[in-house]
Amino acid sequence: MAASRAGAGQQAKAGATSRRDRSAWLVTTASVAVGVLLWAMASARLDSLLFPSPLQALAAFWQMLGNGELLADVAISVQRIAIGFALGCLVGIPLGLAMGLFRIVRAVCDPVVQFLRFVPPIAWLIPAIMWFGIGEASKVLIIFYMTVFLVLLNTMAGVAAIPKNQIRAAGNFSVSRLQLFTLVVFPSTLSYSIAGARIALGNSFAAVVGAELIAADAGLGYRIVESGKWMAMNEMFAAIVVLGMFGLLADRGVRLATRRFLARYVPDGDHAH
Amino acid sequence: MHTDPAAPLSDAASRVGQIALRGVDFAYAGNSTTVIQDVSFEVAPGEFLVLLGPSGCGKSTVLNLIAGFERPSRGEVLASGRAVQSAGRDRVVIFQDSDSLYGWLTVLDNVGFPLRVAGVAARERRERATAVLKVVGLAGHEHKYPRQLSGGMKQRVQLARALVLDSPILLMDEPFAALDAQTRSILQDELMQLSVKMRRTILFITHDIGESILLGDRIGIMRAGPASSIKEFLPVTLPRPRRRSSVEFGELYERIRASISEEVRRALRSEDPPL
Repeated sequence: MAASRAGAGQQAKAGATSRRDRSAWLVTTASVAVGVLLWAMASARLDSLLFPSPLQALAAFWQMLGNGELLADVAISVQRIAIGFALGCLVGIPLGLAMGLFRIVRAVCDPVVQFLRFVPPIAWLIPAIMWFGIGEASKVLIIFYMTVFLVLLNTMAGVAAIPKNQIRAAGNFSVSRLQLFTLVVFPSTLSYSIAGARIALGNSFAAVVGAELIAADAGLGYRIVESGKWMAMNEMFAAIVVLGMFGLLADRGVRLATRRFLARYVPDGDHAH
Repeated sequence: MHTDPAAPLSDAASRVGQIALRGVDFAYAGNSTTVIQDVSFEVAPGEFLVLLGPSGCGKSTVLNLIAGFERPSRGEVLASGRAVQSAGRDRVVIFQDSDSLYGWLTVLDNVGFPLRVAGVAARERRERATAVLKVVGLAGHEHKYPRQLSGGMKQRVQLARALVLDSPILLMDEPFAALDAQTRSILQDELMQLSVKMRRTILFITHDIGESILLGDRIGIMRAGPASSIKEFLPVTLPRPRRRSSVEFGELYERIRASISEEVRRALRSEDPPL
């Protein structure tokens, strides 16, 4: 009987949660609707040539989708982000761990890192184009550059934040140096690395568009520049909205994947916002 | 008392579980203040020794030296007859803070961690960890994560993780100090019963007089720091299970309280007078 009452209690709790979820969804939907409405009202007031309405942007979106232009632009931008982001994590996590763990690595790398992290990625675009040409390498480099510092610095902070007792306890069980790394240090810092990666991914969208605005022959940023040249503001708006949507999707995707596969390493589910 | 601490310990086998400090000084590197000075004592195999003293008296330092987390500035520290070089699985520490548990591992995996490090196969690991969790009263909580447990349950996990290895020496650094009074009292009673059954050498650090009488075969009262040492050792001859309400308990409590307050007053007098 006690068990059935507990079961009922749990159901009631689940019911309350889903009700709260539903009302949260309602508010979100309403907020989006109001945003679109305000946009429509603004464009009605202003010159629709300079400030297209949501419907005009949507029409442009369908047209660009239809002739394959949009997909090609999205694909190239996403590919640049994916490669640069992946390389940034592959270098940033190990280097951050090494800098966190070894005084000598920290002494060697820290001045360089501390200097470079204050030089914004976009500042390197022109030299990168001079070195690698206008193609993919220069864009990937910008994304890589931005990702690597965020991931590296966060991972390093993660090493510094490992509770001393976790290390001492491991010593009590006679861990080897390799075991200390694989069984304690790496899993303990993972949530910090992930938080850094999520911030980097968010910034990647801004960085790739920045790079494509300045010099590119394809991509969402390039599409914004091109539509500007032809005063095709509706196409420009469509590209900007798509850009925002992809940023949001990428962030949600990472968050979902983290929760699904790495939940045990990320105690509160969310370190980055 | 499980063994007579005065008995001669000749061969290596009889030293298993023995702790010995000989003329030990400790100061942190680059700091001239001596934390403990000329500390010498022995803990016999299977004995439950409580080190009792006011905060800042260096009792955790003594534990850290035996654990191998710190090295003595002078003198020697021996465990099971061998000089302590570093931390090792023959001396397991139970920390005051449960942050020593691994947050990404379940209770079962936390307890199985020492076995994993030792290369024990997954199946045996699970069996032994499950068995120890039953001993500390955590059956049914195997698949929870530490963050889902109360403070008292986390300390039970630490205890289970320490017991799973069959280490001859357990070093307990105020393990119940951060718990609420009720939980603390329950865990003290359980440890009292468990310590008799498991026959391991236990060094237990506390500032709680009642706790020291409840648990110890012998109580070492420490001087106030700096340059602290052990003022006196008192054997606890009360039969187990011990009750806080017994007359003998109360008498011993008063005896210890007087000794400590005399020590604290002496320390206050020896300090420079205020301007």
